[in-house]
Amino acid sequence: MATTELCSEEALRFIWGGAIPLQIHLHESEVTTLPPPPPALILGPRIGYLPLLVPLLKPYFSSTLPPGVDTVWFDYKGLPLKWNIPTGVLFDLLCAEPERPWNLTVHFRGHPGETLIPCESEDNVKWSFINALKEAAYVINGNCKNVMNLSQADQFELWQSLMKGNVEAYQRIASRLKLGPIGEDCTLKTGAGQPRQALGEADTAGSSRVGRIPVRLYVRNIIQDLDDFDEATAVDSWDSISYINRPVEIHKHEGHLLTLRTALKALLPEIFDDETMPDNQIFSKEEGCQVTNPSFEDYETPNSLRNVETEEASIISDSVVLSKKPKVKLIRIQGIELDLSIPFFWVVNNLMNPDYFIHICVFTEASPSQVLVR
Amino acid sequence: MAAESPTSERKGEKRKAEVVVHLRATGDAPILKQAKFKIAGSDKFLKVIEFLRRQLHRDTLFVYVNSAFSPSPDELVIDLYNNFGFDGKLVVNYACSMAWG
Repeated sequence: MATTELCSEEALRFIWGGAIPLQIHLHESEVTTLPPPPPALILGPRIGYLPLLVPLLKPYFSSTLPPGVDTVWFDYKGLPLKWNIPTGVLFDLLCAEPERPWNLTVHFRGHPGETLIPCESEDNVKWSFINALKEAAYVINGNCKNVMNLSQADQFELWQSLMKGNVEAYQRIASRLKLGPIGEDCTLKTGAGQPRQALGEADTAGSSRVGRIPVRLYVRNIIQDLDDFDEATAVDSWDSISYINRPVEIHKHEGHLLTLRTALKALLPEIFDDETMPDNQIFSKEEGCQVTNPSFEDYETPNSLRNVETEEASIISDSVVLSKKPKVKLIRIQGIELDLSIPFFWVVNNLMNPDYFIHICVFTEASPSQVLVR
Repeated sequence: MAAESPTSERKGEKRKAEVVVHLRATGDAPILKQAKFKIAGSDKFLKVIEFLRRQLHRDTLFVYVNSAFSPSPDELVIDLYNNFGFDGKLVVNYACSMAWG
């Protein structure tokens, strides 16, 4: 099948053109002038990173800053923002109800070293991006030679294309990395999630081409009984968000169409199990969809221990009635609340970030008794 | 193989995983006396980086997985093991200067 049919040019342009309207306030402790400077209004590209906005913000606020050395960082409602997460993902994750413009606070002093890795220059961001890309390549190919073999000039151009939002330049280099697209007739590999030597064996056996799709999951719990997301409390610590890196393993299977729902069930069996999925309100409208996919009875939870939160949650869910399991409230990829019956191949080919990861924000809803005090 | 995976439940192990991390010096980085150690899978990769910094008394350190890439410090060790581990361990390379751009 031709590449063009698997990837939508239009979707790519939307991803690259997507931006969050930001209203950035200087933290009051750093205001030395009266009246205080008005907030800066900037469009932050979804696929970009917050420190890349510093060259715009610094001149804007420079006249009011106290003397000292800058280490720039941002917070949203007091939560220091991780600069290595794409801006669009931060917005999707931290604004349960989209807030536009998004009110962020910028700090030039007082970097919270315990919670944030300092970002001293654009080079730090580039390093983080290239390494994410290498990690994704490793997941897909079992090595990242294609990325490592890029010349310095090509690597620089790839990075520049991201900074400038130049999708053509990006594609010119990225196409040489041979990391996609994936075909539409993919289905789950059974026993997914095992360490990679298992994959190596399946690969050399050679019957069906096995593929792995790099996914970064951000799972956030929202307390039940809130009528709308406006009342959802702000995230006060990154510890309350489960950050999970787990690939979806697929193999070619003609005539089968893997849906996003099936892929999510394989990724997060502790949340998307058969008991909680069908009667969930947000899925009810899609009941016409039949998932023609392998059963998960043989599925072995690959990474039993993600963090304390998920583990405790699963212990609780084992011991109490089914209705108390966390419910999936919302799934967001690239700011879109997706219909879960959408083919997974389409999501992969069209909604991935330039680092070749699919970043998925999952909001779960647990009754207050299930919310773990941390 | 999978059956030896630290996370295997087939063997009736508890849902608690420890990952064996194999530390390998790269370039002119000093070699540690103890190259292998166990770490809870629920720990972040940051813990590995901090351990190395302490052992080597260096603030600037480049830490890689499989001589290939440098994971985000937030990634869980168990995820890295499941995605990139082999022979029952996770290979972590460290260098005092950038080894693999």
